[in-house]
Amino acid sequence: MTANSAAPLERPLSIEARGEGLLAVCFQAMASPCEVLLPAANRADARQIGALVAHEAWRVETKYSRYRDDSVVSWIHRHRGAPLVIDAETAALLDFAEHCFEVSDGMFDITSGVLRRAWRFDGSDRLPDDAAIADLLPFVGFGKLQWKSPVLTLQPGMELDFGGIGKEYAVDCAYSLVAARWNIPFLINFGGDLRASRAPPSGAWNVGVERPDSDHAAGTVLELELGALATSGDSHRYLLKNGTRYGHILDPRTGWPVPNSPRSVTVAASSCTEAGLLSTLALLRGAGAEAFLAELGTRYWLNR
Amino acid sequence: MQLTRLDTPAAAATAAAATAAAARAAPPSAISPVRRRLMAASCALLSAGGARSHAADVTGVVNDLVQNVSVDSALAYYHEDGRIQAVEPIVNVAKTFANGDALNLDFTFDSLSGSSPNGALPSHGIQTFSSPSGKPQHRYTTAPGELPADPNYSDTRVAVAANWSMPLTRVTQMSVGAKVSGEDDFYSVTLNASLAHDFNDKNTTVSGGVYNEFDSIKPIGGAPQAGSDYAAVLKTGDKTKDGVGVLLGVTQVLTREWLSEFNLSVDRFHGYLNDPYKFTSVLDSTGATTGYRYESRPDQRTRKSAYWENRVAIAQESAALSLRYMTDDWGVRSDTAQLHVRFNMADGGRYIEPTVRYYRQTAADFYTPWIVGTAAGAGGYESSDERLGAFHALTYGIKYAQKVDNLGPFASSEFNVRLEYYEQIRNNPSTALSSLQGLDLYPGLKAVLVQFGWRF
Repeated sequence: MTANSAAPLERPLSIEARGEGLLAVCFQAMASPCEVLLPAANRADARQIGALVAHEAWRVETKYSRYRDDSVVSWIHRHRGAPLVIDAETAALLDFAEHCFEVSDGMFDITSGVLRRAWRFDGSDRLPDDAAIADLLPFVGFGKLQWKSPVLTLQPGMELDFGGIGKEYAVDCAYSLVAARWNIPFLINFGGDLRASRAPPSGAWNVGVERPDSDHAAGTVLELELGALATSGDSHRYLLKNGTRYGHILDPRTGWPVPNSPRSVTVAASSCTEAGLLSTLALLRGAGAEAFLAELGTRYWLNR
Repeated sequence: MQLTRLDTPAAAATAAAATAAAARAAPPSAISPVRRRLMAASCALLSAGGARSHAADVTGVVNDLVQNVSVDSALAYYHEDGRIQAVEPIVNVAKTFANGDALNLDFTFDSLSGSSPNGALPSHGIQTFSSPSGKPQHRYTTAPGELPADPNYSDTRVAVAANWSMPLTRVTQMSVGAKVSGEDDFYSVTLNASLAHDFNDKNTTVSGGVYNEFDSIKPIGGAPQAGSDYAAVLKTGDKTKDGVGVLLGVTQVLTREWLSEFNLSVDRFHGYLNDPYKFTSVLDSTGATTGYRYESRPDQRTRKSAYWENRVAIAQESAALSLRYMTDDWGVRSDTAQLHVRFNMADGGRYIEPTVRYYRQTAADFYTPWIVGTAAGAGGYESSDERLGAFHALTYGIKYAQKVDNLGPFASSEFNVRLEYYEQIRNNPSTALSSLQGLDLYPGLKAVLVQFGWRF
C-alpha cells in the first residue's frame, strides 16, 4: 500500500563569484535555471546553503513531477477511483489549491491539465476543435474531486497538476530552510520566481524580468529589498491564428484561452506562493487584469 | 516560465524600475479581500513546513475494510473509595468511505458492582434495610455512624452508538445517529441529527443539532410511589421518560494557533425522573431516625448550558481550556473548568498530557438531606440524592501516549495510559438536631480511574 521513496535527484551545483563579494550557487531544477544569491557569505557556507536549497528544489520536483513514475502525482494517477490517504504535505497543497479554486471562482484549477491534450502551444496556428475540448471538460473541475483531508478520490479520467504552484512553493520551502539556519541576506530564484530574506549590503536586489518579445535578455529591471516576486506569462507558449494570439492561460470552465490576457504579470508579495498565485489570477482576469492588480495593495508589473 | 536574471546587487535608484511597463505601488492599507484570503491560505500551506516529506512515502490506498478503518479501544477501571467499582471496555470504530461519508461506531460495556448510597443518613443506631428486590437474603444493615449503602449493588450496561456523516456539499455536512443502551433495569434509545456548515474559507463552522431520547425504566421490585413511606412498600410497574434537546455551535479559527468553539444547548426531559432506589431519612424533633420516605422529584426538567473551549498551539505544545455553565429549572447550577496541556516529546512519537478539572454545583431547590416529621420539601418535592446536593470536585489526571510504527499489520498505532484522581468535597452543615451531633453526614467521595488505550 505504500509507495517507495523516490530516488533523490542529483545534479551538478556550481558556485560563481559575481563580483563585489556576491556568490551565486547555480543548478537546474523544475526545467529552470535556479540560483541562490549570497552577497555576504563565504564559500563554505555558500556550498552548504546551495546544497540545502538545491536538494529542497529537487525534493519538491521529484515529489510532484508529472513525468516521474515515483512521484506522488503519478501514484495518485495510478489509483484513480480509489480513496487515497494523502500525506500531510500534499494534503496542505490540496487544501491550498482548493482555496485558490474558490477564490478564483473556478478559474484556478489544478485539474485543468487534461486540457493540454487538446492544446499544443507551439507557436503554430493549429487550434483544437470545439468537440475535442468538449470531450475533455467533463474531466476538469476541482469540485469533481472528492477531497476531504486526508482522503482523496480522483475520478477516472482526471489529472492533478501542481505545476502552477510547485515552483513558487519550492522557493518558499527552501527559503524557510535557509532562514531557519542562517541570519544573512540571501535570495532564492527558481526560474524567475524568487524570494529574498533582506536587502543586500548594497541596498536592493536588482531583478531582471524578461521582456515577453525578447529572448532571454533581461527586459526590465525591478528592485526588491525583501519579500517575494513571481511572474506568470506566456511569452513562448501561444498559438497565432488570423492575427489572434491564443496564450497558454486556459480558462478551465470553457477550455479556451482567456481572451486579452496580459503577456506577463509580476507581483510582489510576502511569500513566493502568494505572489505566484496573484500573478496567475491576474492573467486569468484577461482584460480585467489591471483592475484586479490595482486592488491587491501590492506592487506589480504588467506587460501587454 | 520567465527567465529572470539577477545581476550584481547595485545601489538603488536605477531608472529601470521607473520604466517598467506598468509599475504602480498601491497604498498598503488597501488590501483586497481576494488577497487577504490568499495570504491566509498561503500562510496555512507554508506553516505546514513540518510536514515536508520525500516522494510518496506516507500515503496509502483506502480500498479495503482494514485500510479505511481506525479503531480506538480502551479498558478502564474505576474505583470509588468504599463504594462502587467498574470495569469498562470501550471500542470506537471509524470508517471513511470513498464518497466522503463516514461511519462511527461506539461499543461500551460497563460492569459495576459495590455499594451504592441509598439516600438515608448515618445514625447512632444500627439501620436495617430491605433490598429493592425484596429478597430476604439481600437485607442489609448499616453500622452506627456509617453512610447507608446497598452492598449488593450491581449492574451491567451495554451501549452501542452509530453515527453516519455525509457531505452534502463541499462545505456542508449532515450527520445522523442513534444510540441504544440497555442495563438490568433501564433501556434507552436516542436519535440525533445535525448539520454543519463551513464558511469564511472554512475558518468558521456553524452547526445545529437536535436529539430525542426515549427511556424505559424497569426498577427491580417495581417503581416506588413517589413520596411514599419506605416501610409501606407501595410499588407500581415500569416507567418511562423522554427528552428532546437542541444544540447550536460556532467553531472559529482565530489564528493559525488558536481555535475557539462555543456551544449553547437546551434540553427538556419529561416523565419519571426519580431514582427508584433512593429514599430520605425521616427524623423526629431530636434528629433520631424514625423511618424513610421514597424521593419525589418533579416530572419535568429543563437544562440550559453554555460551553466554551479554546485550543491553542504553542510551539511544540498544545493546550485546551474549556468552561461550561449549566443551569436548570430544579435550581441546580454548575460550573466546570478544565485544562489539558499536551507536551510533545522531541521525537514526535510520545506525549504527556496532564489534566486538571474543577467542578461545582448548587443544590436543587427540593434537595433535603433529611425530613423532620412530615414536612415536605420545596413544591412538595424532596430528594436526598447526593448528586442533587451542593458540592465541588477536583480531578487531576495524566495521560502518557506512545506511537509505535509497523506493529503487525498496522502502519501506526498508539498506546496510552491514563490515570485520574477525583475528589468530591461537601460541606458538613451545622445542625441543631441533637441526635445528629457527632455524625459525618456528608462523607466526600474519592475515586481513581486507570485506563489503558490502544488506537490503530
